[in-house]
Order: sequence, then structure tokens, then C-alpha cells
Amino acid sequence: MTARNTFAQGMTLTWRSLVPLRNQPGELIQLLLQPIFMIVIFVVVFGAMSGDQSGAVQRLLPGVLTQVALTQTITTGLRLAEDIGNGVFDRFRSMPIARSAPLMGRILADTATMTLTVAVALLVGSVVGFRIRTSPLEALGGVALLLAFTLALGWVSAWLGLRARSAASMQGLATAVLLPLSFGSTALIPAANMPGALQWWARLNPVSHLADSLRSLFTGGPVGANVWITLGWIVAITACFVPLAVRTYARRIR
Amino acid sequence: MSNTIEAEGLVKRYGDKTALDGVDLEARAGSVLGVLGPNGAGKTTAVRILATLVGPDGGVARVGGHDVTREPAKVRELIGLTGQYASVDEKLTGRQNLMMIGRLLGLGRAPARARAEDLIGRFGLQNAADRAAQTYSGGMRRRLDLAVSLVGEPSIIFMDEPTTGLDPQVRAELWTVVREQIARGATVLLTTQYLEEADQLADEIVLIDRGKVSARGTPDELKARAGDRRLEIRPEHDAEKAERILAEVTGLRPHRGENGVISVPVLDPALPPAALRRLDDAGIVLTEHALRRPTLDEAFLALVAAPAEGLTDHTAANAAERRSA
Repeated sequence: MTARNTFAQGMTLTWRSLVPLRNQPGELIQLLLQPIFMIVIFVVVFGAMSGDQSGAVQRLLPGVLTQVALTQTITTGLRLAEDIGNGVFDRFRSMPIARSAPLMGRILADTATMTLTVAVALLVGSVVGFRIRTSPLEALGGVALLLAFTLALGWVSAWLGLRARSAASMQGLATAVLLPLSFGSTALIPAANMPGALQWWARLNPVSHLADSLRSLFTGGPVGANVWITLGWIVAITACFVPLAVRTYARRIR
Repeated sequence: MSNTIEAEGLVKRYGDKTALDGVDLEARAGSVLGVLGPNGAGKTTAVRILATLVGPDGGVARVGGHDVTREPAKVRELIGLTGQYASVDEKLTGRQNLMMIGRLLGLGRAPARARAEDLIGRFGLQNAADRAAQTYSGGMRRRLDLAVSLVGEPSIIFMDEPTTGLDPQVRAELWTVVREQIARGATVLLTTQYLEEADQLADEIVLIDRGKVSARGTPDELKARAGDRRLEIRPEHDAEKAERILAEVTGLRPHRGENGVISVPVLDPALPPAALRRLDDAGIVLTEHALRRPTLDEAFLALVAAPAEGLTDHTAANAAERRSA
């Protein structure tokens, strides 16, 4: 199997994962509605409650963006579990293609949809009044940091999906992992406003560092150690879960 | 190149369950091997091993001359897989499914499109080609699944219960496709629960039951082995009693059909008159009786059930029910 063949097969399988978005309007709408709903509910409604609409939008949107992106990392493992469950995976395995192509296609396709989701979320954010106050370089750095973090989590998701008995159990498992990460963080509420134990967890939680990094990189203010801590987490998660996912994958495709 | 399939002593265990317990299979180049057996007999496990999807716990298998565990990549270049386990992508249209497989197999965009178009035509999927596969009926899905497995024009084709649950018309259509593949020179291994299907398509049949080969041979050989002729009776009443008498006289388990006909192999020409006499003595009136060649169905039952051990043994009856269900 030459590298060129492997790449071509990976691209074909990326296409295969993205083309349903074009086939079925429902799929695309579902993908776009999630960021829109989350922003409307958390940013607009909570903002209106707080009285200071524009200040709330500036504070909350980076957090909601983090949560939207986090939720979407489930897709990677969920689709892998589906492919295993309904036999598509076996079809690929019985064919003379690179063993890595199906996993590569999945990750590439999910990175593409994640980029789209982040772009839509920022667009919707700007409609409800969110303004980036920093330099384009800092803003791009923020987007890159978010994408790198979700890619790292995508490998965790892949690992869970490859181990799960079914797509449904993958979804349950992933939700159990994501909820404390997503809501036990400073994405929406500052740690200072939390009760003791939760505060301790929120300060430890990598998602807090990510959300705080994004706030600084998009709206200004001291970046501090948050970006470095987030980068550290990205490296640690990637170093841990890429080998785990690849090993589980190798066992499943044998 | 030899398009043969050979397996010797295949063993596969799942936990403490033995799915295959020393199965030998052989398909000559260009022939159809029918692997016949009830649900859970181990047919699918055998196909999965031969298609390089799982490794055997014991035994060796060569497909197209290549060892499935040592040279799986070589095997994958030769085979097409269809049926229960290989599946289509539900979210893609029929055409996109075919295109995807063509592209994965290294066809350029235009040749992949042409190949897809050709298969869409041959499998009568024109009207559904641009709809997502999840909207397809059972029969259409199987046709697409089979079409997908033929994109690479494989020289060895595994079909795992390709027609289970389909209505007779769709089954007959799929049989036509199988015959086309044989005409093209492909070797086919077909698993099925339907005796009629094996009889129609297979050059040789291997009967698997609970992970073991219980019989093998050509359809005619298997029929012959079940007894040259069968005695068939249709009692007006007391069917159970009539069945017991036939069992006592022949020492074999009679088969009771849905139409009230009870039949049993008769190896000794002296047996039919004796059986009829006994039935008469018991006061059982027969609306019909006849001697005839067995069907494969009966051969199957006779071979699986072996000698009757009295009427408390329901295994064969259950097997028959499963198949007719």
C-alpha cells in the first residue's frame, strides 16, 4: 500500500462521511442548529437576565463556543461505533485498502465539520453582538487552540467508540465523560461563584483553562498561564489517547 | 491463478462457546459451494474467517491459494463479500455507495462512475440510485449490497445468507446474478438456510450443524444418501400413531409435512408393504400413499437427525420449524 493510495482512500472515506450533509438537508440543519440554539439560550437569555446584555455576550460567547465544540466531539466515536455495529466497517476490512484509511477519513471529516461549526458559532455570535477585540492573530490563535483541543478529545471519543458495545452505549459513555467537563467548568460561571468542591474541580478542569484562554484571546485581557496549561492538556491527552485509540482500532480491524 | 477455497480443521471459540469445531471446506475453482445449516450452526463464522475478518483459533484456510491469517492483504484483493455482515452505508445513495467502493479500489472518478452506472442497470436500481440507502426496501438493500461486493469484479465471492428473509421473486432475481457470476468464472461460497437455494445453485453442499460438518456431497449424492426412495402416507386420522408405526418399522425418524403427509426413507424394498400392513392392522385409514425419490429437504432432515431415538427427540422437528418459519 503506497502512501499515495492510503491518502486517496482516506480522502474517499472523508468524502463518504461528509456527503450525507449534502444528501440530507436535515443533517446539515441539525449540525447548524446546535450552535444557534446554544448561543440563543445561554448568551441571549442569560445575558438578558443579567441586565448587561453586551457585557454578558462578550463574557459568555467564548464559553458557549467551547461547550458547542465539546459536545460535537461525540460524533467521532458515535459514527465509528455505528460503522462497527451495522457492518460497514467489516466491508472496509474485507477490502484491499490501507488499514488506517477508515480512521483517517473519520478524523478528517470530523475536523472539517468542527471547523464549520466553530465558524457558524462565531458568525451567529457576531449577529447577537459578540465582537472580537483582539488582533486577528490572537483570534486565529484562539480558534486554533479550540480546534486542537477538540481534535485531542476526538481521539478520546474514537477510543470510546471503538471500545463500545453499541452506538447507544457509546453515546451514554461519552455524555457521562463530557457533562462534568463541560458544565463543571468556568465556561459559563466564574469559579469564584461556585461552591467549594465544584470550585476545586472547575479550577482543575482543562475545559476551564480552554474557555478562559478563548475569552482572553477573543476579547482581550491577560492571557496568563491558561493558554500554556491548555496546550499542556492537549499534548497530554493526545499523547495518551492517540496510542490507545490506534491500539484499540488495530485490534478491531486486525 | 487458482480461485479455490480450502479450509482444514477450522476451529473458532467465543468464550466457552465453540462456534466451529474442526470444519473442512473445499471449493474448486469456478464452482459453487453451498454451506447449509440452521441458525447458529457456524456458517457465518466460517465466512468471516475466510474473508479475513476474524482469525481462526485452529486450522488453516487458504483462499485463492493465500493463507487467510498470513497473507490477508492478498486474499482481500481477490474476494467480494456480501450478506448479513458486510453492509452498505445507509446515509449514502446507492450510486454513492458504488462510487465509494470503486474509488477505494483505485478506480478513477470516471471509471468508478461508469462501473456504478453499469451495476445500477444490472441490478435494476435505476429508480432508487439517487436515494439514500436507508430508504431502500429489504430486497433493494440486498441487491445494492451484492452490487457493491461486485464492483471489483472479484474472482472469489462469499455470500452469507444473501436471500434470507426475501420474497421468492427477489430470491430468484438474486439467483440469476449468482449464475452470472459463475458464468464469468468466479468461485462462489454461499451460505443458506434454504435447501432449495443450495439445490438450485450449489455444485457441492456442506451441511454444518452446531459447528461440525454433518454431511457433504453433491445435491444428488445427499438425496441418495437419505434413502433411494421414500414412503409417503397421508393418514385420515391418528397422525401421531401412524408416525410412531413408521418409525418402528423403518428405525428412522419420519418427517411430518405441513400438508399432513408423513414420509420416511425406505432402504429395504420389503419395508413399505410391512409398514402398510401394520398401519392397516392398527385401523389407520390412509387417504394417500406413495413411494418416491426424496427431496433435499428430507435428505437434510435425515442427515441431521440421524436414526430416530423415539419421538421424544424434537431436535429435527425444531430444525424443520426454524426453516419453514
